[in-house]
Amino acid sequence: MIEVRGVARSFVAATSGKRASGARAGLGGLLGLGRKRGAERIVHAVRDVSFHAPGGHITGLLGPNGAGKTTTLRMLAGLITPEAGTLSVDGIDVVARPREVLARMGVLSDSRGLYPRLTARENIVYYAALHGMARDAADARAQELARMFDMTALLDRRTDGFSQGERMKTALARALVHDPANIVLDEPTNGLDVLATRALRESLRWLRTPEGGGKCIVFSTHIMQEVERLCDSVVVVADGRTVASGTVEELLARTGQSDFEEAFVRLAFAPPAAPAEAVPA
Amino acid sequence: MKRSIAAVLTVLRKELTDALRDRRTLMTVLVSSVLLGPLVLLGVSALVASLESRAEQREIYVAGVEKAPTLQNFLERQTYTVKAPPADYEAQLRRSKFTDPVVVVPDDFESALARGDAPVVEVVSDSANQRSEAATARIERLLNAFGRERAVLNLALRGVAVQVLEPVRVDERDLANQQSRATRITGMLPYFVMMAVLYGALTAALDTTAGERERGSLEPLLMNPAERWAIVVGKWGAVACVSMLIAVLSSLSFLPGQWVLRSDTLAAMFQYGVGEALLFLAVLLPFAAALSAVLMAVAIRCKTFKEAQASATIVILVTSLLPLVNVFNLGGESPWHLWVPALAQNTLMTRVLKGEAFNLPQVLIPLAVCIVLTVVGVWFVSRMLRQAALK
Repeated sequence: MIEVRGVARSFVAATSGKRASGARAGLGGLLGLGRKRGAERIVHAVRDVSFHAPGGHITGLLGPNGAGKTTTLRMLAGLITPEAGTLSVDGIDVVARPREVLARMGVLSDSRGLYPRLTARENIVYYAALHGMARDAADARAQELARMFDMTALLDRRTDGFSQGERMKTALARALVHDPANIVLDEPTNGLDVLATRALRESLRWLRTPEGGGKCIVFSTHIMQEVERLCDSVVVVADGRTVASGTVEELLARTGQSDFEEAFVRLAFAPPAAPAEAVPA
Repeated sequence: MKRSIAAVLTVLRKELTDALRDRRTLMTVLVSSVLLGPLVLLGVSALVASLESRAEQREIYVAGVEKAPTLQNFLERQTYTVKAPPADYEAQLRRSKFTDPVVVVPDDFESALARGDAPVVEVVSDSANQRSEAATARIERLLNAFGRERAVLNLALRGVAVQVLEPVRVDERDLANQQSRATRITGMLPYFVMMAVLYGALTAALDTTAGERERGSLEPLLMNPAERWAIVVGKWGAVACVSMLIAVLSSLSFLPGQWVLRSDTLAAMFQYGVGEALLFLAVLLPFAAALSAVLMAVAIRCKTFKEAQASATIVILVTSLLPLVNVFNLGGESPWHLWVPALAQNTLMTRVLKGEAFNLPQVLIPLAVCIVLTVVGVWFVSRMLRQAALK
C-alpha cells in the first residue's frame, strides 16, 4: 500500500548565459562564481500530488512530459526529500525510515543502467545481496524471475550487447529480486516494442493476482492505451498537481467523453483558472 | 552495523569483479607497471656498463696524432691506445653515432711546444650527446696531466722545485656511501612506482563514480536499502585494492629486475632486496588508499567518464609534479616535505634506496596525511552520492 499526500518539491534551475553579463564576465564568471547572483529560476516540479495505491491493484500515474511523475516517484524512493506533504509505504514514513521503505518496495527508475561487464544473473544477484539475501536464495530468485520474464536464455550472458527489451527485463528482475510487496515503475514501456510491452503487461497483471502475491503496483506513463488496458485506477498529474483520479470509466463519465485520450487532454490541459471539477460533465 | 558491513563486502566484491573483467585496461596497466622496473634498470645499467667498458678500454681518438709525437708518447706511457678518428667525426658526433670525444692537434704542435707558444689542443665533443660528454672530463684530465708533466720538466731544467706548481694539494673525501651514490642513478625509480599506482587507481576510481553515473546505474543502486557510506566504502575498497595490487607488483618487479643489471658496479650499488620492497609497500599502500579516495571525490562530480578524465588530470599533474621537488633537489630535504602527499612518499622511498632508516615522524606524518585524505574523500563521495544520482 502506497500513500502519497500533498507532496511538493521545487528546484533551482541553472541560469546559463546570465552570469557572463556585466562586470562578472571575468574570472569569477568563468569559474561559475557569479552564478549565484544571476537571476535564479525556481522550478516547481511537484506542487501538490496525492494518491492512494492499495495492494492487489495497479495504479497508473498518467501525465504529460514534465508533469512531475518522475520527481514524485523519486521522492517515494527517498532520493529526493519533499518540501511538503507525506509519503508512506505500508504505513512507514519514507522520510523518517527510508531504508525500511526500500526493503519493501521494488523500484524501476527512470535510469535503469546495468553493469555491462556483469552477466544478467550477476546484475540481479548483486541487488539481492544488497537487500541482504543469501547467495542460494538470490540465485533461486533470479531463476524464478527469469522464468517469469521469459529471459532464462539471457541469464548467463553479459548485459553488454542486450537490446532495450532485454535490458528492461533485467532491470525489472533486479528491482523485484527481494519480492517486494510494493512495485513502482517509472515509464517501464519506454523503448519497448509491442511484444515486449505485451509481455510486461502480462507479468504485471499476474503480479497483481493473489497467486502473483497481490502486489501494490504503481506505474507512471504518458501513454493512454497502457492505462486503459492495465490500470485499475488512474491518477492524472499535470503541472505538478493531481488533477483527477479514479477508474478509467469514472474519468470518462466525469469529462463526458467516450474516448479516453480526449478525456485525458481535457483533464491534464484544462486552463488553470478552471480546475478539473469545473469541466462540464 | 552487521548489515552495513555485509553491504560493504557485497559492493567490494562486485566492483572488484567488474574491474578485473575490464581486461584490456587492466592488462595495459599491469604490463606497464610490472615491466617498468626491469626496463628502467636495464636502460640505466646499459648506460653505466658502456661508460665502464670505455674507461676500461683506455682508448683515445686523436686527429693529427702524427704531428704530435710528444703527446703520443705521453698517452702511450699512460697505457692509452691512440687511435685516429673517422674523417667525418664531427657529423657522426652530432648524430650520436660516434660516442668518444676527439682530440684535435694543430699542424705546428711540436714546433709551438718547443718554442713555448702553448699550442691549442681542441677536445671536440657534442654536449647534446651525453655519452661523449661523460668521456670528455676524463680526456681533459689526461691532457692536463700532459701539460703538468711538460711544465714540471721545464721547471726542473731550470732548477725550480716541483712543489711551486702545486702550492695546495687537493684530496677528495666523499662521505656518500655506495648506496646513496647510486640514488643519483636510481633516484627516479620511486617516481615511476608512484605513477604506476596512480594509473592503477585511475580507471577503477572513475568507473565506479562517473562511469556509474554515465551508465545510469547509480540511481537504481541507491534504491537499495544499503547505507550510502557502506556503498562508498565498498567502492573505495575495490579501487584501493586494484591500486594496491599495482603497488605490490611494481615494487616486486625490481627484484627480478636486478638480475638483468649488466653492470657489476651498479648491481653492487643498487641494493634492493625483499626488505626494501616491503618498506616501499609500507609507504605506497596508504598512498594508494588516499589516491583512490581523492580520485573518486574528483570524479563523482562529473557526469561522464570523459569529463572525469579531464578533471582527474589535475590530480595526475599534482602527483607527478610534486616529487620533482626531490628529483631537482630544490633546497634539499625539508621537514615540510613530509606533509605533502606524493612528495613525502617520494622522499621516503628515496631514503629506502639510500639505505637510510626512518624516524618516527617520517613514518607517522605521511601516514596520517593519507588517512585524513582517505576519510575526507570517502565522506565527500558519500555526501555527493544522492545528488550525483539524480543529475
